[in-house]
This record gives sequence, structure tokens and C-alpha cells, in this order.
Amino acid sequence: MLKNGGETYRAEDTMALIAKAAGMKNVNSFVTPTCIILSYCYLDKDYTRMIRTRIRTIDLNKVTLVNEVSRNYVSGKITLPQAYLQLQEIDQKKPIYPAWLQNVAASVSSGAFAALFGAGVIEIIIAGVAGMIVNASVGYFEPYLRVKFFNEFFAAILGGLLALVCYKMNARLQLDLMIIGTMIPLFPGIAVTNSLRDLMAGDLMAGVSRGVEALLTALSVAIATVTLLFLAR
Amino acid sequence: MGWWQGLILSFFSTVAFCMLFNVPIRALLAGGFAGSLGWIIYNVLIGNGISITVATFLAATGVSLSSQLFSVYLRVPSTNFSVAGIIPLVPGSVAYKAMLSFVNGDDLGGITLATRTSLIAGAIASGLILGLSIFSVWKGIVTRNAGTRAKTD
Repeated sequence: MLKNGGETYRAEDTMALIAKAAGMKNVNSFVTPTCIILSYCYLDKDYTRMIRTRIRTIDLNKVTLVNEVSRNYVSGKITLPQAYLQLQEIDQKKPIYPAWLQNVAASVSSGAFAALFGAGVIEIIIAGVAGMIVNASVGYFEPYLRVKFFNEFFAAILGGLLALVCYKMNARLQLDLMIIGTMIPLFPGIAVTNSLRDLMAGDLMAGVSRGVEALLTALSVAIATVTLLFLAR
Repeated sequence: MGWWQGLILSFFSTVAFCMLFNVPIRALLAGGFAGSLGWIIYNVLIGNGISITVATFLAATGVSLSSQLFSVYLRVPSTNFSVAGIIPLVPGSVAYKAMLSFVNGDDLGGITLATRTSLIAGAIASGLILGLSIFSVWKGIVTRNAGTRAKTD
């Protein structure tokens, strides 16, 4: 429920707060990016629940909403059934931005990033389209390619190929700017930031595993770039 | 490229990245400002002859601090802003050049550039951490303490 890209300590705190407010004692929670364990003592009986989180997406809107629900519940504005209903609603929520808008956003960020490094108009457009392809193909191939890193690698290759083809047709274009812009939607920003925050908060396991996640994504992008450069020679 | 162009570009790329991560709509603009602030700090420092690594570090600190402030005012987790805010600082071109050197068989140059990339990435990371620590000291709370969190929140 809370694993949409929130920090580990936020998940732990939220669960502990809700559980304590619900009258449970000895609440302990342990969260890593792949599983959630909560144990508590209720009416003199010990309970433990563990939930595996296999699918991890990024949806900061949900994190924000869950945060609000837990705050409202703890301060007594809403009751437990209300909070539960709201949480279920949040869980069912679709992303606030439709898929096409996200693709457009990917292309804008790609183009703007290429422009920051001094790309010309044509390069900006190509980088934008390639970034859109990258973002769309990450979403499209997800059901087929189960391995996340291979999926990212494949998307990066697809987007980069467009830049490469344009470069082959017109050698005056700057390939480096186009490729840098293309790869930007794959940048593991959430993983990096959360890994740092987890490490700072003392969740060493969660921090390290998220750091490795970021590293692997960066590596798959790097390998894709190397492959493209090899083709470009 | 004029400074205002860079400003607008960094703003738009940050806002677009916010949308990729499904940041709530009311937090989009603030995210863009965080990104632009990082870009301004970075460029001003570079213009004054400070090394790229130090400039990135200070810019990331600025991004982190501003996103903490925004998170207090808008009452949303600060991750919303800092994640996209560091985007303009990503060492894309250095990383690309490192890959290029490796492909061309220039291993020594590749290692030099790869080291520089990891230094810049480390600078972003430590800048974010410094911002976080400054803020938590300033606020005077221990982040892990659920009891105080409940009160201050």
C-alpha cells in the first residue's frame, strides 16, 4: 500500500502511528523495499503479519495522500473504518496524469535537458521524441520483460536507436546531446533520493538495497549507451 | 545561451519530471522552483570559477533545503520536490563522455571521466544529505522518533 516510492521510515512511522492510535501495544514494524513486517500486541495476544511487495511503482501522489490520512487519523479527525476506506480508495487510484501526458512530460524533460547542454532545435526535437519512446516502451514492455533492468535497457536502446538513425542521416547533428537527453527519463531519481534518506534515518538495509537498485538502473542505461556508441562507430 | 533560457529550461524539465513521478498537482510549481534554484546556484558558482563537484554539492544542498521548506508550507513529503529538483544537476554529459572513451579504447580517459561522474553523483548525494541534516537540526526534531513526529506533524 505504501510502497509507491515513499521512504522506508515514512512507511514504518505511518504503520506504527496508525497501530498505536488503534489501541495496539508493542507495535514494531520492519520495512524493506521488498517486504513489510508488522507485529503488535492486541488484547494480550501477539500478532505478526508480513506482506511481500513484489511490484514497486512510483506514485508520489499516493504517498502524499496516505500521509494525510494517517495524520488525520492520529489527530482524531477520522475514525478507523473511515481511514481504512480512504486507504482502499487511494490504493485503487489511477495516476493523476494520463499516460499520454506522462509521455509528453518525458519528451519535455528530455528536450529541455538536451537544451540545457546547448542542443539546437532539431536535436531538441529528436531528443524529445526519443525520450517519449523510452518512457512509452518502459510502460509497454513491462508485462513481457519481467526483469526490470532488462526492460530499461531495451527501452534505452529503442530510444537511442532513433537518435542514432537521425545522426546517420545527418552527421552534423550532435549525437552526444541527443543521447544524453534520451536517457534522462530513466534516471533513477526516486531510488537515489530514498536510498539516501533511508541511510540517514538508520534503515541501513533498505538504504543499501535501494542504492543497489539505482546503481543497476544506471548500469543498464550505461550498457545501452555503450551498445549504441558501438553501433555508431 | 542566456541565463534566463537556462532558468526556463531547468524549470520545465523539472516540472516534467515531477509529472513522470505523479507528484500532486499543487506541488508541481514548487518542484519546478526547486529545480531552477539548483540550476542557478550551480551556474553562478561555475561562473565564479568554482569546481564542478563543489558547485554540484552546494546546488544539491540548496535543492534539498528548498524542498524541505516547500514540504513544510505545502504539507507534502519533501521527496516530491527533491527527486525532480536534482535532475538539472545530473552529470549526463560526463557520463556519456566516459562511455565514449571506453568504446573508443581510451581506457585511461574513460576511468578519469567515470571517476569524475561518480564524484559528481556523490556530491549530489552528500548535498542532499547535508540539506536534510541542516533542516532536522534547525527543526530540532529527531526524524525517527514517532512520538515527537506525531506532535509536530
